[in-house]
Amino acid sequence: MDKLVRTHLPRIAGLAIAGASLLAVSAAQAKEITIWCWDPNFNVAIMKEAGARYTKMHPDVTFNVVDFAKADVEQKLQTGLASGTADALPDIVLIEDYGAQKYLQSFPGAFAPLSGTVDYSGFAPYKVEVMTLDGQVYGMPFDSGVTGLYYRKDYLEQAGFNPEDMQDITWDRFIEIGQEVEAKTGKKMMGLDPNDAGLVRIMMQSAGQWYFDKEGKPNITGNAALKAALETIGKIMSANIYKPANGWSDWVGTFTSGDVASVVTGVWITGTVKAQPDQAGKWGVAPIPALSIEGATHASNLGGSSWYVLESSEEKAEAIDFLNEIYGKDIDFYQTILQDRGAVGSLLAARGGAAYEEADAFFGGEKVWQNFSDWLAKVPSVNYGIFTNEADLAVTAQLPALTQGTPVDEVLQAIDAEIAGQIQ
Amino acid sequence: MVQARRGGIGRYYDVNGWLFVAPALGLIAIFMVYPILWSLWMSFQAGRGMTMQFAGFANIVRLWNDPIFIKALTNTMTYFVVQVPIMILLALILASLLNNPRLVGRGLFRTAIFLPCVTSLVAYSVLFKGMFAPDGIVNSTLQAIGVIATPIPWLTHPFWAKTLVIIAITWRWTGYNMIFYLAALQNIDKSIYEVARIDGVPAWARFTHITIPLLKPVILFTTVISTIGTLQLFDEVYNLTEGKGGPSNATLTLSLYIYNLTFRFMPSFGYAATVSYVIVVLVALLAFLQFFLARERDR
Repeated sequence: MDKLVRTHLPRIAGLAIAGASLLAVSAAQAKEITIWCWDPNFNVAIMKEAGARYTKMHPDVTFNVVDFAKADVEQKLQTGLASGTADALPDIVLIEDYGAQKYLQSFPGAFAPLSGTVDYSGFAPYKVEVMTLDGQVYGMPFDSGVTGLYYRKDYLEQAGFNPEDMQDITWDRFIEIGQEVEAKTGKKMMGLDPNDAGLVRIMMQSAGQWYFDKEGKPNITGNAALKAALETIGKIMSANIYKPANGWSDWVGTFTSGDVASVVTGVWITGTVKAQPDQAGKWGVAPIPALSIEGATHASNLGGSSWYVLESSEEKAEAIDFLNEIYGKDIDFYQTILQDRGAVGSLLAARGGAAYEEADAFFGGEKVWQNFSDWLAKVPSVNYGIFTNEADLAVTAQLPALTQGTPVDEVLQAIDAEIAGQIQ
Repeated sequence: MVQARRGGIGRYYDVNGWLFVAPALGLIAIFMVYPILWSLWMSFQAGRGMTMQFAGFANIVRLWNDPIFIKALTNTMTYFVVQVPIMILLALILASLLNNPRLVGRGLFRTAIFLPCVTSLVAYSVLFKGMFAPDGIVNSTLQAIGVIATPIPWLTHPFWAKTLVIIAITWRWTGYNMIFYLAALQNIDKSIYEVARIDGVPAWARFTHITIPLLKPVILFTTVISTIGTLQLFDEVYNLTEGKGGPSNATLTLSLYIYNLTFRFMPSFGYAATVSYVIVVLVALLAFLQFFLARERDR
């Protein structure tokens, strides 16, 4: 055996080299599109599905979907853009909506405008707005972060509430229910990570406000929605109806373990909720609670992201065509990713598809997708500006002060001062 | 005469010598001198992302009016003032204990104490997060032995989060400093200790009057190294707080702030460079101060 290998080794090696060079030649003809994104169960899986669909029509184009943590994608992108060498950058990158304007404005010319190619009138207007700069639209709108109140029917039933009691409530009512649930079941109402301002953002946007006004100027001390949101968080904390979480995975653990009775967050969490088969049938979805101020609604948004093509990409034309063919037109694709991954896309035409009509057994046969798509149309449009990360950190820095009983107006002033120092 | 010239100033004109060191000098110029000068130039520029302009001293003015920078600076100095003395003293005590030739299993102890600083950073951060969680082993142990009634909020309370970072870096770096002391202790002549023992000097006095003075150069070295390390503190805080320096910026360090300014916030490379130079200046000042305090006074 050994001898056999030894005598044939040169020939095997020769064949291998010939094969490798043949592969190299065909690889040079085929186009490979490299994509960076995060979340293997959501963005990565969806992009692979999209790639597979396109490759079926265009066999010469293949896809390399690279999975990083979200912070790593952002850091690598920012470093690559700053270095000025495009070699290390992908062809398509996923950017969270909050950061879109930051990248567009601070790295002019880095992203390819898609205005001429993509028909943006078919997308949710707020998604198109965050990717528009100086009349040019960049990027392909992807998933929506439309929010919902996910609740455990079984726990609430034990506490004497039925699903009707959860519809269109206020945050004050939510807290009352939470206290009742804890008294009857011993479970906390929700998980809360004090280092994450997501809930503040949800509440604020539901009343049509943001950290910044339409011109992008800080809107803190006079922001009634932000004030009401902070007051509400303060009430939640002093009512002690929450289980504290440290970091994202800890927070996810609060509801996957069955320790809390509800979750208020973006629709993209659906996949994670449904990943616990033993909890099937126990969950329901209601509109999020509303703040008790003027302009308050039951619809909001958390996160959501879009695909951007790098101007420096060698496969720029193919990348743009791919996004336009699949994400811009393929209604069937949107049905698939909704059913498989719980992705509510922002292509409005996709909402007419059959999948949106279907009842979901996990949620006890509720037509949750129809609900989410109704709420999506009601999400108040706000200007995310370019300093959301800075504002977020300023807010979380003040949350402990809020729990110690500092008046909300003082907290707002402290947030304002911190943001003013960061905006340069 | 010629020989003397070649040995003196003449060797600076020796082309062959220059050729030998040229590759190294070239690499140093490209990868060290150029970036340093470029970052210095950058610290005088302001703007968003790649749209930077010369701004004079605007970034330095911004430092004074930036509450987060002040917070990060205060935190960093707190770590430095509290943690470095504790760690140095602990390392000294451990080193002299483990230097005792009659101690059984001292190789094992030395390894155990040195091990943390070669442990994977992420692994140990994850471990610390688990150990110091509200229902983690530390809280449950303290509760079981009756030291505390309610769990300590290690990661969610500003004071305890800072304490946890100090515990974490002490755990990681004490063994590293101890190795330097152990090596230095091997070089102290044993007869000095023998004489002291015959004269009836107690153990504690031997430690303060013989060990510490003789280790002075090494203590100076480890203090300077630890100062530099603490002022550049990043990894522990980043991993323990998911990169946020929370709660309430209570654990934010200058290095983490630089990271935020560069990669998390609207990129302001110029300002980040300015903050970096604050660390450079601080390290230089503190190192100078330590050399000054440790100088030989009796000369």
